[in-house]
Amino acid sequence: MSDTSITNSQEPLLTNDGVPLKESLRKSLRRTKIRSFLLILAPLSFLLFMFVTPIGSLLSRSIDDIQINNVFPQTFAQYEQWEDKSQLPSEEMFAAVINDIRVTIKIKDSEGNLIGKNLLGRSGTRMTYEYSGWKSLISKTVKEALKVDKKSKEDVKPFKWEAPYKEKMIKRDKRWAKVEFWQSLGAMKDPYTMGYYLNAVDLKYDANKNIVQKEEYLKIYNTIWVRTLKVSLMVTLFCLLLAYPVAYLLATLPMRTSNLLMICVLMPFWTSLLVRIVAWMIMLQQNGVVNDTLINILPCFEGMVNLPFFGATNIDLCFSDEDRIPMMYNFTGTIIVMTQVLLPFMILPIYSVMKGIPPSYMKAAQNLGATPTWAFIRVYMPQSVPGIGAGCILVFIVAIGYYITPELVGGKDGIMIGNFVAREMQRTLNWGLAAAMGAILLAAVLILYWAYDRLIGLDNLKMG
Amino acid sequence: MKNVITKTLVAGAISTAMLAGAVQAEVTFVSWGGGYSASQQKAYVDTYSSGDVNMISYNGGLGEVRAQVESGSVQWDIVDVLASDARIGCDEGLFEELDRSMFLPSPTGVAMDDDTMVPVPNDCVVPQIWWSYVPFHKADAFSGDQPSTMQDFFDVEKFPGKRGIHTWASAITEMALYADGVAIDDIYDVLGTQAGQDRAFAKLDTIKDHVVFWSAGSKPLDLVNSGEVSMSLAYNGRVGGAVLNDGADYVTVWDGQVLEEEWLVLLKGAPNRAAAMHFLVHASSSQAQADQAKWINYGPMRTSGLDIMQAGEPWFNTGVDIMEHMPNTDEHMSGGILANPDFWADSGQAINDRYAAWMAK
Repeated sequence: MSDTSITNSQEPLLTNDGVPLKESLRKSLRRTKIRSFLLILAPLSFLLFMFVTPIGSLLSRSIDDIQINNVFPQTFAQYEQWEDKSQLPSEEMFAAVINDIRVTIKIKDSEGNLIGKNLLGRSGTRMTYEYSGWKSLISKTVKEALKVDKKSKEDVKPFKWEAPYKEKMIKRDKRWAKVEFWQSLGAMKDPYTMGYYLNAVDLKYDANKNIVQKEEYLKIYNTIWVRTLKVSLMVTLFCLLLAYPVAYLLATLPMRTSNLLMICVLMPFWTSLLVRIVAWMIMLQQNGVVNDTLINILPCFEGMVNLPFFGATNIDLCFSDEDRIPMMYNFTGTIIVMTQVLLPFMILPIYSVMKGIPPSYMKAAQNLGATPTWAFIRVYMPQSVPGIGAGCILVFIVAIGYYITPELVGGKDGIMIGNFVAREMQRTLNWGLAAAMGAILLAAVLILYWAYDRLIGLDNLKMG
Repeated sequence: MKNVITKTLVAGAISTAMLAGAVQAEVTFVSWGGGYSASQQKAYVDTYSSGDVNMISYNGGLGEVRAQVESGSVQWDIVDVLASDARIGCDEGLFEELDRSMFLPSPTGVAMDDDTMVPVPNDCVVPQIWWSYVPFHKADAFSGDQPSTMQDFFDVEKFPGKRGIHTWASAITEMALYADGVAIDDIYDVLGTQAGQDRAFAKLDTIKDHVVFWSAGSKPLDLVNSGEVSMSLAYNGRVGGAVLNDGADYVTVWDGQVLEEEWLVLLKGAPNRAAAMHFLVHASSSQAQADQAKWINYGPMRTSGLDIMQAGEPWFNTGVDIMEHMPNTDEHMSGGILANPDFWADSGQAINDRYAAWMAK
C-alpha cells in the first residue's frame, strides 16, 4: 500500500488504464472545453450573424462604390485623361460611355436573364446623388439601345450608332453638352470612396476630387449632428436629475412602499412605446390637457391699474388662447418625451448600486461628525457613481440613435440623425449615406466608451 | 429529458413547416393602410375567390423592397407604389416585368395599356388609382371669408393657424410655386432651375414658422381634429373617406391639388408569383377599379372604370354620388397640377435634400 502512494518522482503518474495522468487530464480538459464551446456555439453564431456580419456589411457599404465602377470602367479611365475639366471632354470619353453601356447591356445573371438594363438603372440612381438628371439621361440612352429589337429577349442588338458619338449624343439630348454632368463623375471614379462620409458632414468632392464645402442651402447634417448630441446630453442630464432621487427612495424606503414605487417605475417601462408617445401628444399639444388646464386655472386679470411710478397702465395677465405654449412637434417635445421614455434605463442601474451601499456607512459618517448633507455628498454619492456611470452611458447610447420619438413628436427642430438614416434607407435609397451616418454613430459611441474607461474606468461600471 | 427535447424540436419543425405552407398559399399585398387599404380589401380581395390574399401596411418608399430583393429573401408579393418609385424600382430591376397580354381588356375591348389615364410608364406597373394632395380644413375653422385657393393655404395672415404639411418635397414645392403665381403648365420648367427652386423655398419660408409636419396619412386628420393646425395638406381620399363614411365636416380646397398616379407592382422573386399575377389580373379589371370607388374617393386609373362609375351613379356605398368628390373631374382639374414622376425620379434627390435642410433649420 505504501509503495503505491509514495511514487518515484521520475515515473509519471498513471491512471487505472495505464495512461499518464497528465495526458488523461489534458484529454478530459479538452473534452470539457469542446463541450463548453459547443454549448456557446449557438449564441456565438447568433452574435456572428446578427451582429458582426450586419455591422461589417454596414461599414463596407459606407465606402463602397464598386457597382458603378463595374458598369462604367472605360468612362472613368477616360476621366483620368480629361485635362481641362472646365471644357467638354473629348470624343474618347463620349465613346467610352457608349461602349460601357454596350458592354453592360448584354450582362446576364446566373440563370441567363438579361440584367444589364437594371445594372444601368442602379448606376443611374447612384449618379443622380451626385448630379440631378443623370438617371433619365442614362435611361433615355439605354432605351434607345433597346428599341432596336424589343421582341427578342435572348440578346440585345448593339446600337445603330457608329463613332463619332459626341455630336450625335448632344443632338439627342443637349444635357450631354453640360460640363457639370461630366464633372460630377469625378466623385464616383474610385471603387472605394469617402464621399458618403463627406456627405454626412456637409462636405463633397469637386471635379478634381478635392474636398469642398456643400452649397449653403444643402447643408444640414452638421446641424443635425450637433442637435443629436445636444438632445442626447440633455436627455441624459434630465434623466439623471429625475432618476437619482427616485432610485434613492427605492433603495432606502421600507420594502412594502418601495415595491409599490418600483411598480410605478416599471409600469411605463412595460407599456408600448407608441402608447406612451400618443399619451404625451394628448397632454402637450396646442389644445392639449396641459394648455387647457393652464388657461382654466391661471387667474385672469385684465384692465387699467394705477401703478406707483408708472401711472395708469394696461395690464394683461391672462393666459389666453394666443399664449398656449408649443410643447409638441418641436425640440421641447422631443426632450420631454424621450426623458420619460428613457427614465427607467437610468433608475434601474442606479437603484441596484444604491441597494448595495450599506446604510451603516452613512451612520458612521454622521457619528464622526458630518452633517447629513455632508455625509451624503462625501460618503454616499461617491459610492453610487458606478450606477450613475452605467445609467448615463445606457441612456446616452440609446438616445443618440433614437428614431421613433423624434419622428412622431419632433416636428422640424426636434428630429435627429436617426430620422435621416431612416429617410435615406426608405425614401431616397442612398444606403451608402445611411451606412456612413450609422458608422459615425457607432464611432461616437465607441469614443464615449473609451473616454468613460479613461475617466472613470469600465471596471467601475455596474449595470445591476 | 432527451425525449422532451426531441419532441419539442419535432413539434417546432412541423409547426414551422405548416406556417411556411400557410404563408406560401397566401399572396401578400402591401399597401398604405387606413381607408385606402380598406377599399382595396373590399373591392379586390373580398371579391376574389381563387385564393387567399393577405393585406399588410407600409409607409412608402422602396427601402424594404430593395432590401428584400437584394438579400434574396422576398416576403412580399404585390406592393402599392408611388409613381416615381414605380419608375425607379422597375429601372433597378426590383419589380417583375409583366406579360401585358395577360391583363383583361375593358368591356368595350380596349387593351389595358391603352385604357389608362396617362401612358403606362413601363412594363412593371399595373393600373391602380389617381389620388391627390389637397388642403382641407374644418367647416367651422374660419368665420367670414373661407379659404378657396392654394394662395389662401400660404396666407397665414388672412387665415390664421398652423399648417400641416408632409415631410417630403414633392407636391408641396409645386404648390408653393403655384401659389406664388407660376402658371400650371410652367411649374416643372421653373422647378427644374436653381432660380425656380429658390422661388419655391422663398414661398415656403413664408409659412415656415407655422408648419407642423406629418409623414403618415392618418396624421393630418388628427392634427386638424385636435386643432393643432387650422389647415393641412392630406391625401384627398383620407379627407373624402371621413366625410363620406363618417360624416366629418371637412372642406376640401381643390385649387392647386397635385394629382399623382398610383400603381401596383409584383416584386422580383415574389414567393407566390403565379397566384399574385392571377390576383393582379383581377384587381386591375375595369369592374374592380370602379368598385374601389364605392369605398373611397380615389379615381380609377383605367378610363373604362370611370365610365362604369359615371353610368352607375349614385355609386358610393352609402348611396350618394361620388363623382363630385373625385380629384379628376373637369371642375377639380381646372386648378389641378398633374405631378411629373419622371421629374421627381430624376431631380428628386437634390430637391428633397434641400427640403430636408429647410425642414430641419
